[in-house]
Amino acid sequence: HQQLFEKHLVLLRDGRTLIGYLRSIDQFANLVFHQTVERIHVGKKFGDIPRGIFIVRGENVVLLGEIDMDKPCDTVLQQVSIEEILEEQRLQQQAKQETEKVKMQVLKDRGLSIPKADNLDEY
Amino acid sequence: MFRFQSLNEDCMLEEEDDGLIEDEDEIDQFNDDTFGAGAIDDDWQEEHKRLAELDERDELGAGLGFGGGGMGGDSDLSTSERPSSTRIPSSVVHPPPPSSLASLSFSSSSSRLPPSDVEDRVGEGDLAESLARLILDADPAIAGVGAAERPGLPPGSSGSGLSALRGLDQPRVLPQPSPILPPTQPHQHPQHQLPPGLPASGLPPSSMLSYQQQQHLLRRGTAPMGQMSSHSIWENSMGFGPVSVTPGLLTHMEDNPLMSIIKEVGHPKRAPQGRNDEDLSERAPPPRSSSPVIGSPPVRAVPIGTPPKQPMSHALNHQNSPLCRGPFPPRVGPVLSQIQRAQLLNSQVAGFPRGGPPPLLPGGGGFRPFFGGPPPPHGHRMGPPPPHGPPNHAPPLRHNTTHLHPQHRRMLTQRMQSRGGDRRPGMDRRSRDPYSNLMTQKEKEWVTKIQMMQLQSTDPYLDDYYYQNYYEKMEKRQEKEQDSSKKEHTTKLITPQVAKVEHTYRPVQFAGSLGKLTVSSVNNPRKMIDAVVTTRSDDEEKREKQVWNKRRQILYTVEKMYSLLLEVQDFEKCFVQAPEEDREALLEQHKSNTEQLCSSLREKEWDDRVSDEQCVMIMSVRKGKRLISRLLPFLPSMQAAAVVMAIARNLPALAKKDKQDQVLCWLVEPVSAVIQSLSSASLTDLLQELQGSEGQLATVLHNKFGVTLLYVILSEGERMQSSDPNCQLMDDNRWTELVFSVTRELLSVPSSSLSPPLFTPPNLLSLFSRYVDRQRLELLQDKLQISALSR
Repeated sequence: HQQLFEKHLVLLRDGRTLIGYLRSIDQFANLVFHQTVERIHVGKKFGDIPRGIFIVRGENVVLLGEIDMDKPCDTVLQQVSIEEILEEQRLQQQAKQETEKVKMQVLKDRGLSIPKADNLDEY
Repeated sequence: MFRFQSLNEDCMLEEEDDGLIEDEDEIDQFNDDTFGAGAIDDDWQEEHKRLAELDERDELGAGLGFGGGGMGGDSDLSTSERPSSTRIPSSVVHPPPPSSLASLSFSSSSSRLPPSDVEDRVGEGDLAESLARLILDADPAIAGVGAAERPGLPPGSSGSGLSALRGLDQPRVLPQPSPILPPTQPHQHPQHQLPPGLPASGLPPSSMLSYQQQQHLLRRGTAPMGQMSSHSIWENSMGFGPVSVTPGLLTHMEDNPLMSIIKEVGHPKRAPQGRNDEDLSERAPPPRSSSPVIGSPPVRAVPIGTPPKQPMSHALNHQNSPLCRGPFPPRVGPVLSQIQRAQLLNSQVAGFPRGGPPPLLPGGGGFRPFFGGPPPPHGHRMGPPPPHGPPNHAPPLRHNTTHLHPQHRRMLTQRMQSRGGDRRPGMDRRSRDPYSNLMTQKEKEWVTKIQMMQLQSTDPYLDDYYYQNYYEKMEKRQEKEQDSSKKEHTTKLITPQVAKVEHTYRPVQFAGSLGKLTVSSVNNPRKMIDAVVTTRSDDEEKREKQVWNKRRQILYTVEKMYSLLLEVQDFEKCFVQAPEEDREALLEQHKSNTEQLCSSLREKEWDDRVSDEQCVMIMSVRKGKRLISRLLPFLPSMQAAAVVMAIARNLPALAKKDKQDQVLCWLVEPVSAVIQSLSSASLTDLLQELQGSEGQLATVLHNKFGVTLLYVILSEGERMQSSDPNCQLMDDNRWTELVFSVTRELLSVPSSSLSPPLFTPPNLLSLFSRYVDRQRLELLQDKLQISALSR
């Protein structure tokens, strides 16, 4: 019974983190999340975006765990507004792309090419 | 919606046969379940008989709530089955007010038949009476199959349709006990509506119903006027299925078209009624479709070749005895055979009516038939039964977590317990959460059951290797830490053994017939194509492929050896777990495995020596190197030494081949182990081999593994010398000379081409100090970065 009262945290294959009330689960780990919140982490900051009801297909679940609400929360993370966290995320993505571009260029100059794993998962 | 218009002209009773034959197709469409996919082939008459008997036995009133109702005289209510209204589930039974003729039910109809209207038209009491009589007669007459054929409806039946329906609700067409529910209150049938096309006058639809339908009913019709199923069916039913009418009704009211309408259209939707007052959070989704009671009739014909079901696999759906059976006493002696045990487990895994923690967080303790009593015949070691359940406030163990390792379960229990105290503050929150019980306990158990089924295996070490090993290691660690008095903690994990039932396919045979049926199903597909392997005998291709073949050959050999090796390595584990009688066989197997392994290293069968070539070949592949490194400890010392010799001898070649993989260093450890067991003579030989031909040493030094190997050899020699003054190492000059040459080489080789070793044995310095002068020693020291202090 407790399973469906506490909030759960699920990490998806595309890297998203969802937190919400797990209402239903089946043998494929398909999940029904209620009052879901997507939590984006950038550095030490995080932001919550309310998403409503989520149905997650089981194959995209990496891990799922229950959040212990009663445990003291001693995190160093700082919650920020949605706009801010999205901005941070965008900057992070941008920086990553820049370094990637530079890397490819350098490799190209040296005549090497590391194929991008396009067909693999991002993580 | 219904074809009332078209049926108009067919209202008259015609010759039975004609009507039947030509309109069969039309009729088919109405009812897939009866004629279509869900149709059953068995003898409905027999079925009917059986069920009718059941009816009588069960005394579930065939819903003839005529006992209530405006049916006037119920004098004819026959005995056993005329239930008083009390017998009938409450939601369905209400003596209908005389004005209610609500029993017209159409699944898709929209408007409601105003009861009063109909009543005005048809309210003859005597009609009702006769109807009642008919219906009541029908019940016992259910047993009489002939009822279906009996013609002749008592008079006055034409108008009786509606009133008759007052008392009836549509039983299902299924050969199952289908309920005939009493007339229900109007409000319970919000959907009892005539199609809009029907004149509001409520003219008995009898005139509208097609004759075909009647005939259809007649022909098909003897669905039993079954017992009313339990309330729960209707509660959960989300719709209605095809409906049948009692044969009695049919026969006596064959021109009662309304019945056929009802039959066609389906059962009233009772479900919402009962649920209106219930809490939203307690609603249960419709049960799984494998339940035979709801939805389509059970598919009796199991396709030939279907493997036998586990006996209790459907227990989850039948919410009766298997579930209500209490849990096994924890100390039931498991004197069960393996199969029984597996079956037992399956049945227990099926929904168990325990409250408690969600399946994902099972508690500990609880019943554990496996852990109690004497050890089973196959000799699994059993620990004493674990503590009987956790303290009271912690939830009882889910039966379906029997498969967990006891340690695992203990950890989970502890976790549960630690959170048990916190429950109170959360309680309020939970009780207020309206969405909380969307998933019923049964469903959770069902999911857990599926997940647990995946844990069942006939060979846990194969299927769940890492889990088993992890807990084994933990056990060992705990054993070391704790003293032997705490034996109870070291309960062994016993995973359920699924009974290895042989599912051999035997084609269906009928006695006295010629030949066999060729029925293929999912479980035994028929062979469509004969695939024959033909080797191509093209010469040119052969030559080209030879190169490929060689490599493939090597890989193949490596694979085979690997499997042997794994078996040898696992031997101990298997041996310990095997029952007494199997042990001998296992031992034999083990011996032969080792034999095979050794022989595979030889080139020719009669040649006892380890073949260099073979070794090198194997080691040319990355996996082969790994194989050798794992194999060395298992070889007899002679052979192991020979292998090491071979390695040393062929080091340059090996080094070259290893350029891409760089995994030669895997061999360091096993080789060192071997070296340390060598005799001095062999050691000298080894050193010699290593140095080999001219220039070999340089190559050796260039390679990390080579350097390390060299150092190991030298270190071993030093150890020998220093520990045993009488050692034979110095007996001949070989060793000394070899060392000299090594030092010479070491000094002369440029530092850049000297590869750093994996590790430098500390006693090298003392070795060199024996053989070289101070100056050189210092040079060596610098070069090799051997510190004066041993590491």
